[in-house]
Amino acid sequence: MPSDILRSNPLREGLAQRSIPDPCTLVIFGATGDLTHRKLVPALYNLAADGALPPAISVVGFARRDKSDDVFRAELEEAARKFSRQAINDDLWKNFTSSICYHRSEFDKLEGYEALAKRLDEMDAARGTGGNRLFYLAAGPDQFEVILENLRKSGLNKARPGAWSRVIVEKPFGTDLPSAKRLNDLVENAFDESETFRIDHYLGKETAQNIIVLRFANALFEAMWNSRYIDHVQITASEPLGVEGRAGYYEKSGALRDMVQNHLLQLLCLTAMEPPAGLDADSIRDEKVKVLRSLRPLTGEDVFKHVVRAQYGAGSINGKRVAAYRDELNVNPESVTETFVAMELNVDNWRWAGVPFFIRVGKRLPKAATEIAVHFKSVPPVLFRATGESIDDNVLVIRIQPDEGISLRMSAKMPGSSLRIEPVKMDFHYGTSFGKATPEAYERLLLDAMSGDATLFARRDEVEQAWKFVDAIHEAWQHRSDDLAVYTSGSWGPGEADELTKRHEAAWRRL
Amino acid sequence: MEALVNDAAFIELGMPVEIGKIDKKLGELWDSSDDTKTRASLINLVVYTENDATLAADNAVLAAVAGRHACRAILILGNPSAPVSEAKAWISAHCHLLGKGTRQICSEQITFRLDGDAANALPNIVFSHLDSDLPLCLWWKADFPEPLDEKLWAWVDRLIFDSVSWHKPHHQFSMIRHISSSGKSAAVLCDLNWTRLHAWRFALASQFDNAAAFPHLSHVESITLRCAPHSQIAALLLLGWLAGRLKWTLDVENRVFRTSRDAVIPFHIEETPGPNLSFVSIKASDARFELKLAEGSDFFESSIQTPGIPEICQILPAPRERLEETLLAELSRAGRHTLYTESLEIILPLLKS
Repeated sequence: MPSDILRSNPLREGLAQRSIPDPCTLVIFGATGDLTHRKLVPALYNLAADGALPPAISVVGFARRDKSDDVFRAELEEAARKFSRQAINDDLWKNFTSSICYHRSEFDKLEGYEALAKRLDEMDAARGTGGNRLFYLAAGPDQFEVILENLRKSGLNKARPGAWSRVIVEKPFGTDLPSAKRLNDLVENAFDESETFRIDHYLGKETAQNIIVLRFANALFEAMWNSRYIDHVQITASEPLGVEGRAGYYEKSGALRDMVQNHLLQLLCLTAMEPPAGLDADSIRDEKVKVLRSLRPLTGEDVFKHVVRAQYGAGSINGKRVAAYRDELNVNPESVTETFVAMELNVDNWRWAGVPFFIRVGKRLPKAATEIAVHFKSVPPVLFRATGESIDDNVLVIRIQPDEGISLRMSAKMPGSSLRIEPVKMDFHYGTSFGKATPEAYERLLLDAMSGDATLFARRDEVEQAWKFVDAIHEAWQHRSDDLAVYTSGSWGPGEADELTKRHEAAWRRL
Repeated sequence: MEALVNDAAFIELGMPVEIGKIDKKLGELWDSSDDTKTRASLINLVVYTENDATLAADNAVLAAVAGRHACRAILILGNPSAPVSEAKAWISAHCHLLGKGTRQICSEQITFRLDGDAANALPNIVFSHLDSDLPLCLWWKADFPEPLDEKLWAWVDRLIFDSVSWHKPHHQFSMIRHISSSGKSAAVLCDLNWTRLHAWRFALASQFDNAAAFPHLSHVESITLRCAPHSQIAALLLLGWLAGRLKWTLDVENRVFRTSRDAVIPFHIEETPGPNLSFVSIKASDARFELKLAEGSDFFESSIQTPGIPEICQILPAPRERLEETLLAELSRAGRHTLYTESLEIILPLLKS
């Protein structure tokens, strides 16, 4: 494998350890879409600015609209200037875009793929990309099947000897277990699992990656990371945005399938998993999938006891009136799609027996925040009982976004002659402490895929196990709709969600 | 350096304080600030200089560094040859906005002027004003003194210096080797001249990540470098790094490298006005690898010419020229620079001449 040769480059020793990408051609299906403009091209430019791209790289945009290379590049430049975290340097942009071209074709026309294959061979010869191909499925999920099928028929899925061919699949990985299996079968029909990279961009975020470091590189936390010391865990993903023109997709998906099945369960896995045997992709993914298998299944009436679903009503966000979900454009006025989910999960293994994991996710909530809060058990109420002081429990918060960082709440004596105990917070901010911009998740993930490192990508069994768990909940919801609560936009969700935590004498964190 | 430094030069350095009351006055400084300011510190960054002419510039560098790498900054102007012994101190804070909000993160700075005998109190001045439990990075902006104060060096976690302007590099390098090898200091040697080479090393390594280029590393025939007049140290360090990585040995007498198969690899260093290092060319049989850096540019022009594939031209990030950028790059790196000491050992004999 070229990667093996390159990893033995003696000049690499002592330089920053990171994925070393092989020369390759990246083909983006859905190249005129939002994802390409907002995320992929800015990420590629930032990698180029950091010198992280391989010396030989080509990018081919594959889409249906008719346009020239120059028009395509001009559109990408406009987007990159708007969305790149680093300012665009004209010389670098010019050099970077010389590697970009546009390939017009319908997704369902085999001739388009055959022409692409020919073009890629020519580009290999012209640019020294060595026959390595990375196909990025950034088109709508309804196009995945036809793209994968045509990649297979045109032989693009098979690399020539000494080269590789890989595919990156954007979420959603199906809409339920059967469709996920079907999609995985389709992918497997064309690409080996080791050549398949399922993107969950949450895993590319620095703080998500830092969970493993925090847990396993600090004796302080791991020793207490169990049911003996931890009372419960809360995982929150909130956003003030509404459905924002995505009603067509969201109506079919809802918060459970859009967010819980992938992002939140992935965060739960990183929080709850056992120490992996190593830092390689499969060791980590083996441990994550064990957590998913240990989740206590929620079926039938249990769903209504442990899961709350709700939909936003009218209200206000940042002082502006906003409409109810059912009044949004293209939303069924009688829709029962949930925009908020709160649930109590249990990981039935030795470490986590009796520790509830509370998850909540929602739209039109007061602020954008994704975090994991580990609530430690109370100290025995003995020593300070006589003072009448209530002591807040320790809480370790891992902030995924925004303002990535970690904080620890603990109790301290207030200055003064009397014994007054108050909570204080130790706060670590990535931005303040490390003084450099955190790379976007897509930068890391693209680089890893070019290098063949699948650690931060979801494996087939993870995806299917997560769907199995979520499908059971969804199935129960199909039998009734009277449990669907409504919450005011701009609030922290329905009162029913509070009941979940109250049962355990806990309360949702005030973010 | 003038025997006496004009206090006016210190006006920008903050509020004058008695040395015995520094902690108290710093406390008062924070007490009087509003709630939007938070003191932060990740390291102790001590800067020692004997050049009062650069004091304002040093202060500006510290302010820029503190803005991105919160620290307890201690700036010391030593003047051991001053006839009168005197020690003075000033305190100040560098604050910067955090994100888009109104919160500010502040680093505090203590500035000392140590004249005459007071300059001998340097270790005590440093020890008594450190933020406890935080690493000590000492940026030594003067020639290393003889004998070296082992008590001071024993406390240093990272010893920062810049060999770019050394007039007697062999002597100075020998002294820092002594610090490093005496076993009395675990300080990591951080030569900013080496830090600037990181981008060069990264770009050169990237050129050979290409599978078509990689085999040529075993067939290097000659190396040419271009540097600014009287600034050969960076070029030599880069050669030392290449030699170390590729297991070449130095033939001092003939000023060539020899491979393990006794092949001779000549090297040429040309002096030409422009950046400290502006050009590296590695010739390997029928292949050529070049990196060019134009004056003031943030990017290298990289070119790879190998048989069988078209020339690959790429733009790669070059070292930042501003001193604060170099210092920040050094502070953001962790671990020991083992390749630096290895490279230095290889080229040290060339510095004697």
